[in-house]
Amino acid sequence: MEIALLAFFAVGYFVLAGADLGIGMLLPHLGRSPAERRRVLAAITPFFLANEVWLVTAVGILAGAFPVLEGELLSGHYAVFTTLLLGWVTRDAGIWLRGRVDRAGWRAACDTAVVAGSWTVALSWGVLLAATVGAAPPVAVPVVAAVVALFCAHGLALAALRLRDQPRERARRPFGASGERTVYALTAGGMVLVCLLAGSRLPLAENLADPATLALLTPTAMVLVPLLAGTQVWLWWSLGRIRPQ
Amino acid sequence: MDTPDLARLQFALTAGGHFLFVALTLGLATLIAIMQTRATLTRSAVHGRMIRFWGRLYVINYAMGIVTGLVMEFQLGMAWSGLTHFAGNVLGGSLAMETLVAFFVESTFLGLWIFGWDRLNRWAHLGVFWVVTLTAYASAYWVLVANGFMQNPVGAEVSGGVLRLTDAAAVLGNPTALTAFGHVLSASLVAGAFFVTGVSAYHLRRRTAEREFFRRSLRIGVFTGLPALLAAAAFGGASFVFVQPTKEALFEGDAAEFARLQAEAVTAHGSATGLADHLPPMGLVQAGAILMFVAFVVMLLIAVPSALLALSRRAVLGMRSWHLVLIAAVPLPFAAVLGGWVFREVGRQPWVVYGLLTTEEALSDLSPGTLRFSLTAFAALFALLVAANVWMLARNARRGPVDAPSLLDEPSDTPAERAPAAAF
Repeated sequence: MEIALLAFFAVGYFVLAGADLGIGMLLPHLGRSPAERRRVLAAITPFFLANEVWLVTAVGILAGAFPVLEGELLSGHYAVFTTLLLGWVTRDAGIWLRGRVDRAGWRAACDTAVVAGSWTVALSWGVLLAATVGAAPPVAVPVVAAVVALFCAHGLALAALRLRDQPRERARRPFGASGERTVYALTAGGMVLVCLLAGSRLPLAENLADPATLALLTPTAMVLVPLLAGTQVWLWWSLGRIRPQ
Repeated sequence: MDTPDLARLQFALTAGGHFLFVALTLGLATLIAIMQTRATLTRSAVHGRMIRFWGRLYVINYAMGIVTGLVMEFQLGMAWSGLTHFAGNVLGGSLAMETLVAFFVESTFLGLWIFGWDRLNRWAHLGVFWVVTLTAYASAYWVLVANGFMQNPVGAEVSGGVLRLTDAAAVLGNPTALTAFGHVLSASLVAGAFFVTGVSAYHLRRRTAEREFFRRSLRIGVFTGLPALLAAAAFGGASFVFVQPTKEALFEGDAAEFARLQAEAVTAHGSATGLADHLPPMGLVQAGAILMFVAFVVMLLIAVPSALLALSRRAVLGMRSWHLVLIAAVPLPFAAVLGGWVFREVGRQPWVVYGLLTTEEALSDLSPGTLRFSLTAFAALFALLVAANVWMLARNARRGPVDAPSLLDEPSDTPAERAPAAAF
């Protein structure tokens, strides 16, 4: 059950926030002017925190239900996680702060932070996922490239769904005749697969927390999951139907 | 510096930075929730504008709290895997609960609040902000359950080299956690109240156009600041009962008593690595406590007469020397919060879980080079973000309540027509 909970939140992160990352990576491609880039980012701004929190919760569950593994994973990949966090913070700061100062230089700096941060996070995930599936350096390179490409494709699919006019056309171009919903479903499926594949290589069952802890944590989490999912559905239902002008 | 010192400095910068921003976030959230309740109940236009102005400052500050908080969550496992290994059955559970019960909902509802302004019905929008506020409290509770356990480990026993939960109620009701929870919440409200009061006083002193707006804001700040200050002192006093003997000896400057307790610990846990090194510097522990107490006394000396002066409309609008005092007082709660935090956290060294696990034992197996890299990178990034945050807070506070497309955008000085629903 604990493994299912961890998988639920980890998959949720890669599907939801993965697309946000892809949009951040391809920001210069999707938006060719500051105004277009503003619209591209506006497509994800109301949701990006709510999407990232799936990872925060996944790490929380890892710490609660698999504490020893959590310490081993995070300290074992200390440098990669440091890079991931630096990219994550830089990218989020760019999104949070972009509109705060009405100057061209400021917006350009924030756009740069979003793009550089998104690439850093995506590459760090590539390296971490490659290490998890046991890909050694020569094999790891195509694995990292595939993960990065998947982030980009998933981002394009979301961009096609959420944007209009020119940026939407740019996002749609590589899909040919396929509809953006189909592409989003496919890239989301790819995210699920990658995440589950990497997760299946982790020694989860051997590292469960003490039964006394799980007896409290697991039922509470199971009760909360529908409620948490419900809050996000409300968010998407309230704000997701509007495409930024 | 050796590896444990580098790792401690890195965690201290992250946690200390996080704590400063979170104090203001928690305090401002409470005040905005009160303002929004009033605006919703009475349809008062001035309160409606207050939510937007103070909400903008709140959101600026919120972002900083989040990014430092993210780094902190990961850092626990990255740099302190000995702690998750030894105490994960207790601490991991409370961290998991924090994300599930509190932060997940808080993040989702914050998006709804910021961007749902013109799309949700006003009662739903009010409810959304109360959820944001209460889940922020819940976050603080679960984090302090973990911290309280590290200060005063109850409800668990060591078996097979790791801690196992034996009494969850004792962990959740740990008096060290509960008193700290009350203390932190009320201290945060003091920080929020002094901030609102100081910014309002700035505008009243400068005689900017928004007299009514800042008169009301100042009164809200003053009338919540004083009771919050008294509550913070009461919870702080209550928590003193549970201060560990070594911390007490350090606080009293009793080096002989500290040495005796330390020798006792060495006899009892001779095998623990790092027990004899990394002893807490007595001067720093005392300085932390003194800073907190002095800041408290000064705040009290300001808050009591302020509560009386705030009853007079003329004083609120025109007493410029008082305004100056209120502006100067804005940093005081933050100084107190940092001082108290240093006292609490440095004072329990060399233990990370008091009496059970030393800080050095908790450290991951890392090279000093790796730590130097991450410490430098995080410190540089946080310094940049703190500077940007303070600058933006000051800039937006000075501007006063001017309209902007959304809480994330820069307000324009010309009161343009409010952007329509798509407030992106």
